[in-house]
Amino acid sequence: MERQEILDGLLEVLRTVRTIDPARLEGVTEETDFLTDLNTPSTELINIAAKVEHKFGIEFEDDDIDHMGSKVKDIIDLILAVEERGKNA
Amino acid sequence: MTEETGEQLSGRINNGNLVGLNPARVMLHGPTKLLVDTYYWHSPNKGIVAGYAPTERDVEDHFGVFRGVDQIEAFALASIVSCGSFLECRKLKCLPDGLKEKFVPAFVSIGQVNFHYYLELGDRFISIANIKSYKWRQMVCDGRIYKAPKDLDLNAYFADFTEERLLNYDISKDFKLVAELFDITGRAILIELFKKNEE
Repeated sequence: MERQEILDGLLEVLRTVRTIDPARLEGVTEETDFLTDLNTPSTELINIAAKVEHKFGIEFEDDDIDHMGSKVKDIIDLILAVEERGKNA
Repeated sequence: MTEETGEQLSGRINNGNLVGLNPARVMLHGPTKLLVDTYYWHSPNKGIVAGYAPTERDVEDHFGVFRGVDQIEAFALASIVSCGSFLECRKLKCLPDGLKEKFVPAFVSIGQVNFHYYLELGDRFISIANIKSYKWRQMVCDGRIYKAPKDLDLNAYFADFTEERLLNYDISKDFKLVAELFDITGRAILIELFKKNEE
């Protein structure tokens, strides 16, 4: 999957997150930070990760979540890494 | 309550449940902060019934009444901490002491809490909790706190309790509803990340 395709899917997920102001999703880039730019509560990141799993049909490990960064690019990198891991399994 | 050996505890974690175990074996919390003293019923993936009776210290300087925030803490200890620790030990094939070296139990969020009644010194209460989700060491529970009838043998009463009864709060009307709790959420955070956030 291409990064832009993942970003588009991620935006679809973020539009369903109650704690994110939809207006802030305009102009989101890979450098956007969930915590500082989108004002997402840190506790919401796990809920977002669960929705991302469902959206992209992947499964995160505890370790993935423990070390997940807070920028959009971190999530995209993680999705790609988990996809790759699935291919090699 | 007898103290189990590590081997016995390991067997309990892999094949059993928490009933009959001293809660101090499962939780990090010291004696003055441990607000659970008995596990009456436990189904590892579904939920738990645990009890406590407030002591002099618990009601000191508070009108002889057990504080609402302590009710929430007692419920959290009974549910997300006890059940989460049990499942994580099972997953990692370790004893609770092993978790203490790796994780810090943290409150993540509290949903709605409705208080209906109060608890005084010596009132025995039960927390009935059902596990809504458990993923990435984060557990979410809903449940209720009830004041137990005096002189009822709670071990015997809950000996044949079931998951269906848990979900329906199907207990005798002699139990008095004290609180309803929703989306009580906690997570075991890696100590290294916890300390990193302090820097």
